[in-house]
Parts: sequence; C-alpha cells; structure tokens
Amino acid sequence: MSLSRGVRRPIKLLIWAPCPSAVPQLCKMAACRGRRLLWHGRCWFSQDPAAPPPTPAPAPLYPPIVASHTAKSKVAKRRRLELFYQQVHEAATIEEKLRLYGKLQRPKYMVYPQTFALNADRWYQSFTKTVFVPGLPPRAPPAAAKAPEPGAGAAEALEQGTATAGAAASGAAEALQPGAAAPGAATATKPAAEAAAELDLGALRDLACDALLQESFYQNKKRPFLYRDQDHTPAPFLTQLASSFAAFLCKRNPLLAASSLDLNPEINYYWHHGEEVVVHGHRKGRVDPVRFQIDDKPHLQIRVPKQLPEVVPLESDLGDVPVVNHKPSKLPLFKKQYENKVFIGSKVADPCCYGHTQFHLIPDKLNRQRFKVANLEDQIEVVYRANGIASLFAWTAAQAMYQGFWNEADVTRPFVSQAVVTDGKYFAFFCYQLNTLALTAETIQKSSRKNICWGTDSKPLYDVVEDGSVKGFNDEVLLQLVGFLLNRPKEL
Amino acid sequence: VTPPLSQPEENSHLRVFLLLFRGVRQAQWLTKTKLVQGLPAAVLSIAENPAHQLQEQEEAVHRAIAHARLWETTEVAPRREKYCPVLFEDLIHLCRSMSMKYPSLARRMLARNYRIAATWERESTLLQIRGLNGILMNSMTPIPPIASKEEILATKDHVLETFYPISPTIDLQEVIVYQELNDTGFKDGYPYSHPHTLYFLESANNRPNRFRPEQLRAKMLMFAFGNALAKARVLYGNDPQVLEQPIVVQSVGTDGQLFQFLVFQLNTTDLVSNDGIKNLVWIDSDQKLYESAQCVPEVKKRVVTKPTGIYGLQPETFKKFLALYLHGTV
Repeated sequence: MSLSRGVRRPIKLLIWAPCPSAVPQLCKMAACRGRRLLWHGRCWFSQDPAAPPPTPAPAPLYPPIVASHTAKSKVAKRRRLELFYQQVHEAATIEEKLRLYGKLQRPKYMVYPQTFALNADRWYQSFTKTVFVPGLPPRAPPAAAKAPEPGAGAAEALEQGTATAGAAASGAAEALQPGAAAPGAATATKPAAEAAAELDLGALRDLACDALLQESFYQNKKRPFLYRDQDHTPAPFLTQLASSFAAFLCKRNPLLAASSLDLNPEINYYWHHGEEVVVHGHRKGRVDPVRFQIDDKPHLQIRVPKQLPEVVPLESDLGDVPVVNHKPSKLPLFKKQYENKVFIGSKVADPCCYGHTQFHLIPDKLNRQRFKVANLEDQIEVVYRANGIASLFAWTAAQAMYQGFWNEADVTRPFVSQAVVTDGKYFAFFCYQLNTLALTAETIQKSSRKNICWGTDSKPLYDVVEDGSVKGFNDEVLLQLVGFLLNRPKEL
Repeated sequence: VTPPLSQPEENSHLRVFLLLFRGVRQAQWLTKTKLVQGLPAAVLSIAENPAHQLQEQEEAVHRAIAHARLWETTEVAPRREKYCPVLFEDLIHLCRSMSMKYPSLARRMLARNYRIAATWERESTLLQIRGLNGILMNSMTPIPPIASKEEILATKDHVLETFYPISPTIDLQEVIVYQELNDTGFKDGYPYSHPHTLYFLESANNRPNRFRPEQLRAKMLMFAFGNALAKARVLYGNDPQVLEQPIVVQSVGTDGQLFQFLVFQLNTTDLVSNDGIKNLVWIDSDQKLYESAQCVPEVKKRVVTKPTGIYGLQPETFKKFLALYLHGTV
C-alpha cells in the first residue's frame, strides 16, 4: 500500500555532537577537532573493560535517526509505508479506517464468485489462502441433538413435541459429543431422535413443498423470459423457503429472531495478495502488490448481532493451500480500476454486523445442462465450490474489517459464516472460517494461519414436480439446511 | 392527471387502465361500497393488546427503518426504489417472527407477481380489473367477517354517492372483451387459497410516477374488491347473490413513509343495481411511521445540529401493521 503523498513531514536536521555513542557508522562528515581530541578518550574507554556501562539518558536528547520521508530511495519508500500503516492503525472510526485502506485506486483483478472458469475453486483458494475440506464440520445437528425420548415425543402434537424436544436438547447437548453425532451416522440415538425430529421435519417439509408447488405449479405464470429461467421459479422459491424457514425456526434459535434478512444485498471486499511487476505504463518496472476485488450479490442473506462460534481453533492446520504458478490473468481474470469497497450488506452503524447464512442462486449461464453438453461434468461442482469460497471469504473478511482488523492487524478470533449455493433443485452447503487476513506479500510469510472452508457436493432437494405434488423429496438436504439455520453461539 | 392503475397485459384487447379522478369516492361507486373511517374495532383491539407485540418492538422497528433508510447501501442515501421494498421486507420479517408465539402464522405464503382477473357488471356497464397488482399474502384459513349481520343489513339504507353530471366510469378505458374472466391467480387445489392481505409498494423514485395517497387508497380498494370477488366467484359461482359468509380482504399501501390501511368486506356480488346490501370498507389513511430520516448530519456553522438517524418514530403505525398481519389467526 502506498503512502499518502499529501503529508509532508518536517525534515529534521541532525546536529553531530562530539559524543562517541551518537556517531553513526555511515557518517563521513569531516571530523571536528573535538572528535579527534576525544578519540583518545574513546580508546581509553575501550581499554577499560571494568568500567561501568554508561547510564542511559532519561530521555533521548536528539530525535531518532530515521530515513527521509520524501527522498527517492528504498528506505524513504519503506518509511512512507510505515507512516501509512500507522495512520490506518490510529484511525478514529472504522469508516475512517476503511476509507484510508481503500484510498489509493489502481487497476485490480475483479474476482467473480459465480464463474465459468475451469478449476476456478483452486485458483480462488490460492488467492484467499483457503484450505478446502470436503464435508461439513462435525457439530451436533438438530436431529441427533434431541435426546432420545422416543415414545413420549412421537405420540404428542407438534407444539408439545417441539417443547419436549427443545427442553431435552438443552440438557442433552452437553452430554452428546459433536463427533459422534454426524448427520448421516447411524447410531443408537438415531431411531429415537428421528421420532422426535419427524414432527418438526414434517412441518418443515410441508413448508418447503408448499413453497415449491406455489412457485412452480399453483401460481399462474407466463412463460419465462429468454434466459431468465432462474427468475421465474427458483428465485421466488428460494426467497420463500429461506424466509419461512427462518420464521419457523425463530423459536428454536433466538438469534434468528434478532436477525436481519436482506434480499439481493451487496457484498464487497478488496485485498492484496502476492506481488507482480508492472508491465506497461508510466509505472513500468515497479513491484506492486496484486490487488483483487470481489463484488458479490447473493440472493438472500441473514445477518445477526452475535458472532457464530468457531468451528476449529484459530491456528488449526487442516490441509494445504493449492499453489498456482500462473498469473491470475490466466484464469481468466481481468483488471479494472474503480472504487475499493468493503461492505457486508449494511453500513458499520448496523448492530447486525456478523454474518449467519447466505443463499446464492446459480445463474442461467452456469446451469448443469450446459456443462453436460460441453463435456465438462466435473466442473459442475467447481462452480458451487468457487462460489462458496469466494463469497464467504469476501463476507467474513468484510465482517472482520468492520471490527477493525486488517492485514497489518490480523484477526484475534475466527469469523465463521455459512452459505447455501443452489440452482433451484441442487443444494450445496458451505461453512467458512476466516483465521487470517494477512495475505499481502510481507504479512503472509509471518503468519502460518490458513482460512478453512468446509463444503458438500450438490445434492437434489427433490426429483421432479408433477401434477401438484413433489416427488422424491430428499430429507437429508432439508436436515442440513435446518442445521445451518439453527447454528448459534453456545450461550444462546 | 392521476397515473394509470394496473399494468398492461400482453393481449392488447384485454388491457385495463383505471384512472380515478375522485379517488375513493369513485371506487366506492364502482364497487358498491360503504366507507367507514378508521380501522374496525377487532383489528384495533389486536393492535392495543400488549400480548400481541414483539419483544422490544420499538427498538426492532427503529432498527428496521434505519436499515432501510440509512444503512442498506454503499451510497450515502438510498433511493426510494431501494428503501421502500427493503422497509417492507424488514417489517414483514419482524411480523413473521411472531410465529414464535402463534405457530399457525406459519401457514401463510407470500406471492409476488401474481395476476388477478375479475369482472362484474355495474348499472349496465361491464367492468373488469386485471393484471399485476401487489404482493399478496395468502392464508389457509379465511378471515372471519368483521361486520355483524345488523350492520350489513343497515347498509341497505346507505345511498351511494354519484357524480352527476359526470359518469363514474368516465376515465376508465373502454376495451372489447372476448372473455369475461374471473381468476384468482392460482390453480385449484392451492392450499393457501384465501387472500389475506395485499401489499402495495409505491417505490418509484419520481413523484409523478407514484400514486398520491388518495389514488393509492382507491387502487387498494379496487384490488381488494377484485381479489374478494374472484374468490367469491370460485366459492359461490357466477350468479349475483348476497353472500352468507362475507369475504374479508385486507390491504396495506405505503411509499416508504406513509402507510394506508384498508379492510374490505365483500357482502354481495349483486352489483348491478344501486340499492340493496352494500359492501363495507374500513380505511385508516395517512399513518406516518416516522417523521424523517436524516442520512447526512445537518451541520450549521460547523456545529452538528441534527445527527444522522430516524426522527419522530410512531410505533402505533407498526402496531396496526402487525395487527393486520395477525388478524384472522389471533
């Protein structure tokens, strides 16, 4: 990051006094007579090892000797950089900090979370220092977290069942170990837990089916506009699903009651990673950091006032970050120069400043059929992964910046957010933990932390909608969605 | 000149433009309705009841308004096209969280971009209403009728206001209709078959493109009537008759700051003659949710006189909004 050129520091004149301890090595000024006289004194001092060390002066008599601020030298450039960092550290408000952070505009790569580029997920992992771990992190999901009280739960009505399950869950949550309660694991608690969970699940399944049927069957709609299939059915279905589930699960998760639901919010994040040499122009030959900007528009997001708990400790190492030995422009990524924005969906003054869950809709351009026709079936999952990694990195990093952290002041606690990426039928779930913001060329060597992204493959929620009914509804996807929405800090 | 009412359809011969020069009074004649100022007592009692309120409701409403008007965009101040829908979504999100207390509120579904069609005859003129109107909230159970039998019978004595010598249909567009269509917008077998509340968002940036409050109220009345009539035709057939079970449809219209509340009860589909039982409508107009929203602090002579924020919050307006949402379930 370059320094602001408007600041002019007074050049401090250094007066050489005939004091041996103050004479620097580089000083080649003509020695004054006083210095020569003291030379003997200096020898005298050095021949006497038993002499006590000189007591340090209470305050330095002379200003510190530092490099120039305005000279055309590497040291001066370094000093300008240090002054800039100091300015950002000392900024009074977060808005001022963000303003200074993104003040200098230069051409930067625009990173699109929803991209057709091949193997984009590996590239995005290398840009954001993210480790991708397949599968969701082990934690107690709602089904297994309900204590096994089979007969009692199954026989009662919905509200009562929820109450007993809720009361039992708070007691049993401490007893159950997260590792043992993986969603698909068939343990002894599963049949009993299923009985209690069925009641909740039945209502949620009905909600989901009703939303799907309303949008795709019951509502009289015209034919979809050309290449706007996603706006016709999946987009309203996703809005309906997310908002009705969030409302339904408010009782179980008080964080959702205090949450804020945004439709089509804007997420922006700007960062530096790596170095390159400027290729052409008046700055040719200079070594510049590589700048990136993500401008994302998820379909829906839920923001909460309290942070989600960490999944693994801050310094965990769960894998390797892929290394890509090419310039980012080979992905392809293109450069443009415009405002450097950092935004989580609402301004800094909003109390709901932490993220909970985002819902992304894959656009028509990237639907599965196109990939199959082009013989690129393995790239289908890449689309979901790239979307999850890039969007969640941008969101969590912007949340961290809203709390005052940046690449010179790395995060002291991990920031966790979740995302659901779907194209209307296939759902993929992602969970991201931001452990480090230090991605610039200097800071990345000092920090050994890596960001972690857990993600699943895309699975269908249903097979087909026919004649007013949904065939082949997949409860596993529903359970994962419910588990995501019920995620909350431990004290709630 | 008032702006047009409903959007044009794709077949030009079925288009309807509705210009209401007299506002609600003209809409009353067209729908054979008697007006009662203020919301009905049933709704007001829900609004006043402290049990039907969210925790820290005022704060939550304040946050919702601040989010819509101040925080939701990277620009300094969001425009009405953005903040009006965002405010509506935030308020609906708050209302939906009431399903914590009343789980049957989960049996509601919002429908956007749906099309209504209703036709009726009024003193030898065939009228029809069509097209995209607003956001409809459907519910599985109908709202119980508000007015008692006596009040309904009392409407017989009410005389509809005419505008002699001006015909009330003077500014309605005349089209040739090939098909008298009555369509609720949804197929048969739809589980959420009862229209509950219709929401209108006047979110155009320019004032000429927005409906003024009087015209907005008239539009709300016409579409509430259209929805109720289409539902009545589905339930009771096409013959004009007095309904034993009146159909109630509510409506809320807003431009981001002013709210108009409306409750409409369809008592009869016999609309040809001017006498007989009339329909009833309760209107509560021009309720401000907040006085003003300061996006940039007002500075006079280098002193901040008015910091950023929302001023003049009136929580009663949200209580009425919530009461209309809860009506029928609570």
